Amino acid sequence: MVENNSYMNLPKIHSISKKILVGALGAFLSFFLLFHASANLLILRHDGGEWYNAFCHFMGTYVIVKVLEIGLFAALLLHAGLAIWLAITNKMARPKGYHKPQRSKTHTGSKLQMWTGILIFACLIMHFTDFYFVKIGWVKGKYMVNTEELMKMKATQPAAVSFAEQRGELSAKGNWIANLTADDKAVLQEAGVEVEPDFYHQAREKFKVLYIVIAYLVFFTVVWFHLRHGFAAIFQTFGLYNYKYSRAIEVLGQIFTWGVCLMFTTVVLLVYFGL
Amino acid sequence: MNLDSKIPSGPLAEKWTNYKASQKLVNPANKRKLDIIVVGTGLAGASAAASFGAMGFNVDIFCIQDSPRRAHSIAAQGGINAAKNYQNDGDSVERLFRDTIKGGDYRAREANVYRLAEVSGAIIDQCVAQGVPFARDYGGLLDNRSFGGAQVSRTFYAKGQTGQQLLLGAYGALSREIARGTVKLHTRSEMMDLVVVDGRARGIIVRNLVTGDLERYAAHAVVLATGGYGNLYYLSTNAMNSNGSAAWICHRRGAAFANPCYVQIHPTCIPVHGDYQSKLTLMSESLRNDGRIWVPKKKEDAEAIRAGKLKPTEIPEENRDYYLERRYPAFGNLVPRDVASRAAKERCDAGYGVGTGYAVYLDFADAIQRLGKDVVEQKYGNLFQMYQKITDENPYETPMMIYPAIHYTMGGLWVDYELQTTIPGLFAAGEANFSDHGANRLGASALMQGLADGYFVLPYTMQNYLADQINVGKISSTLPEFDEAENNVKQRLERLLSTSNLSPLTSRQKSVDHFHKALGKIMWEYCGMARNTESLTKAKQLVKELEDEFWKSVFIPGSANEFNPELEKACRLEDYFELAQLVIDDAMHREESCGGHFRTEHQTEDGETLRDDEHFMYVAAWEYHGHGQPETMEKEPLVYEHIKIANRNYK
Amino acid sequence: MNFTLHIWRQECANAKGHFETYKIENISPDCSFLEMLDILNEQLITGSTPHSPLLTPHSPISHPVCFDNDCREGICGMCGLYINGRPHGNDDGITTCQLHMRKFKDGDDIWIEPWRAKAFPVIRDLVVDRSAFDKIIQAGGYISTTTGGVPDANTIPVPKHAADEAMDAASCIGCGACVAACKNASAMLFVGAKVCHLALLPQGQVEAADRAKKMVAKMDELGFGSCTNTYACEAECPKLIKRQNISMLNRQWISALLGRDKK
Repeated sequence: MVENNSYMNLPKIHSISKKILVGALGAFLSFFLLFHASANLLILRHDGGEWYNAFCHFMGTYVIVKVLEIGLFAALLLHAGLAIWLAITNKMARPKGYHKPQRSKTHTGSKLQMWTGILIFACLIMHFTDFYFVKIGWVKGKYMVNTEELMKMKATQPAAVSFAEQRGELSAKGNWIANLTADDKAVLQEAGVEVEPDFYHQAREKFKVLYIVIAYLVFFTVVWFHLRHGFAAIFQTFGLYNYKYSRAIEVLGQIFTWGVCLMFTTVVLLVYFGL
Repeated sequence: MNLDSKIPSGPLAEKWTNYKASQKLVNPANKRKLDIIVVGTGLAGASAAASFGAMGFNVDIFCIQDSPRRAHSIAAQGGINAAKNYQNDGDSVERLFRDTIKGGDYRAREANVYRLAEVSGAIIDQCVAQGVPFARDYGGLLDNRSFGGAQVSRTFYAKGQTGQQLLLGAYGALSREIARGTVKLHTRSEMMDLVVVDGRARGIIVRNLVTGDLERYAAHAVVLATGGYGNLYYLSTNAMNSNGSAAWICHRRGAAFANPCYVQIHPTCIPVHGDYQSKLTLMSESLRNDGRIWVPKKKEDAEAIRAGKLKPTEIPEENRDYYLERRYPAFGNLVPRDVASRAAKERCDAGYGVGTGYAVYLDFADAIQRLGKDVVEQKYGNLFQMYQKITDENPYETPMMIYPAIHYTMGGLWVDYELQTTIPGLFAAGEANFSDHGANRLGASALMQGLADGYFVLPYTMQNYLADQINVGKISSTLPEFDEAENNVKQRLERLLSTSNLSPLTSRQKSVDHFHKALGKIMWEYCGMARNTESLTKAKQLVKELEDEFWKSVFIPGSANEFNPELEKACRLEDYFELAQLVIDDAMHREESCGGHFRTEHQTEDGETLRDDEHFMYVAAWEYHGHGQPETMEKEPLVYEHIKIANRNYK
Repeated sequence: MNFTLHIWRQECANAKGHFETYKIENISPDCSFLEMLDILNEQLITGSTPHSPLLTPHSPISHPVCFDNDCREGICGMCGLYINGRPHGNDDGITTCQLHMRKFKDGDDIWIEPWRAKAFPVIRDLVVDRSAFDKIIQAGGYISTTTGGVPDANTIPVPKHAADEAMDAASCIGCGACVAACKNASAMLFVGAKVCHLALLPQGQVEAADRAKKMVAKMDELGFGSCTNTYACEAECPKLIKRQNISMLNRQWISALLGRDKK
């Protein structure tokens, strides 16, 4: 009559393990956000996108980054998927609900987490339309071309090169001719020249549009809520939250959440006001 | 009735050792062929079942609540005594033994009490190993505090929740055995009858409280650990569901009931404040370590306070009467419970009571000044919070109001040295038996006794009983005795429910609680803190009348085949009516004052108890002869070979 | 004081259940919540009341409202009602039996519901079956000792802070308010409290990781939800048990995952 312990042998993921995974993936995504936000600050340089685009070029072409990018998308999907799975099992734990809505003092962030998560997902589609899909080629945007590439083709494709020459200085050192339109891209591609998205001008153009700016502000408010709860929750889930450090974690969470969200939104606002 | 106490031979200090050395044992392979029923999951029941299970017996354990952890042992606050002498203040087994005997006013069996003191240390070891978080000092060693009736600090405690922690320890051990399969747990199950086959206890009939089904369980032995009958008084510190029925059922089946009139009244409870009140909340005795009890010195001050014109904090020091310190300078506020209770009653009866007139102050102002609010909060924080939630008064700022209330019953099923009742195979442990506390129990001793019985006494004596039972084979629950018992229960339930044929709207019917409250009032008034021939005669008459009225006009809704708390209460109340009669009879026959039993005819000049050792140094064991029949009493003389009998003096 | 009570009535586990409305009058503010229900039951049983002439229950003979209660001093954990959207009602650090009517306003509507969770099925009216908690404890919520054969109590000193923290965790009364309050009906605070209580003491450290593993597995199996860090449990715990216990449970779980035990 010994209690059946066979469930211990099954490859079952227990609730806490799922939560730890969600938390770990969340931590990874948070780091990415911090990284992304820091990089965005480069947009604020009035250098015609020299630094920012150089960074984007690196990110777009370096092979390890490419691998990480796949990891990032996988993490995002897994993070959301596991969270939804947990939410469904959690919902099942109370088949009949209460008549009176709950009035306990709680962390609202947690109750919103699922919805802020879904909103973030929706907003990401907007964000992708603005930026990421340009890279893939699903959406038209701003482009840039490297003069080094063009110089190589001077002999075979004079038309393309002269087209580019009209736009900017052609030098053998490899500077970028940026702010090209989709039509320009078509011409260049016809000539067989590799074109890259010009996120600097893309961003500066998008962030001049009022409704887009508002959309982004809303987006980051949602992100704020999601991070605000998520940051402390990660510590809690990883078992690092205790009597000694609870205050420190709270403060750190505030700094991180506000930091990331402010970095993103300042860039958007400064560009909008033309600063 | 055979009242052989089976005390082993030899000097007092060696009796238990001798017993263990010569008792019969059951070999490991045979243990799993023997079944034991344990009724009750408090300290005694849970610890006994866990110990039996670990030894290899097959155990079935029953409780009326939804979980074993709800048993009322959980509410014990202050602590548990043990003669560890960790404080180097002169404690020893001998001293704990002597304090307990003296605390019990020389009405307890020497050998049992000595054994209790002897195993007390092992209890602490056991509990610590189970993870009971006793209070510790900064060096990481166990801390102690002092309790009433002792001049040493021997009480181990876990904040104000010692009972809870000890019970959770035993519950853990029990849970482990349940997981191992040696113990089967039956919750929301109430024992309704005892099955006696050929003179031996062989099983019980249980009512499943959820479905109302009657179930039969057979075993080689039955252990009763169902607590006391304090709820006879309705308002008590006991839990609402605590009851004396299981013990009473066994008494009906032939087990002798000993010393029923020994009822402990706890001095520090939150006073009564309304008729709707369902229970009285205890404020731990440990509060008397630092709190000082007083009433106003002047009657007019007391009257002004009662009228709400004066606040206790406005009464200057010289106008306060710290009556315990005044009357008992040696023990002061830490006199035993019966003494403190009577002193409070004396002051209130004399017109010095505060609040409703039936309350005295327990003041922490001095302690807060001396130790600081933080220390007081650390020691008693949860008790203060509890008090504030109930009374809406802040005890850090104004003194607590307290008054005595029924708390514990020293009387119970008569048991011998092996904790076996007069029915062979039926054992009683913890508060359900009468054995160790005499006429008054010292604070922090109930936990000690419950765990001593369960961990360290029954596991030995049970083997001694079961050693020859292996030849009996499995007990069948289809024996005619089981049929008879089950029918008996069925008829009883039908009889109770048949009182309620009429719609309550068309007749003048009353609830079970109504009668229970009335019974409690009678008992408290006439058979409570002070008793005399006149009051007891009156009580007997009133109880009889009330019982008649109960059968005429009680309304019990619902049926027996459903979850029906009213029916449960009715069964218990029916038993209380009989029990009340016995308590009164016992109080009447004991023409002396001792411990919790105070006959106003027998007191010293300054109002202390006056024992009559010549005539009453015995245990009164009562035998049942049917409903309405007077019970007969047999005496088990108390022989004190070791201890010198003295006046119980706390001055 | 007068109140309108809306009480969940359900005859048995499989019955459908509904809210029934009762009016109750002349309640003393010093009356506890359960005593108020006692008074209601008394009126339901006798069909009349000492204070007000008659109630208006749906049926002429109404079975009294069933609710679990026992010690009525906040320690046994038996009582538990979901009152106006809060387990144990609108006060902190108390059980239902410690809630007093002075916490309400005269004329209030009071909604009384049972604990709601898959793992806590309703037995009757406001009574639920909490044996799932016992099963979780049976899965490993103890230190494996048998009677006797243990060292002297002072052999292993326990740092005071550990003993105190263990005591705080151990004060859980198993009432189920954490589950009732949690939007996921999770028992993490209950499990966390027990795991911490034992893991903080040297005696319990031997089995700590294994204990966490077994208890959580059992909790999942019994149909409790998981923790999403809302901390409603902490807000409603009558014994003020802290969320840090959940965090420590998670830590024990991680050390069990990383541990050398092959299981």
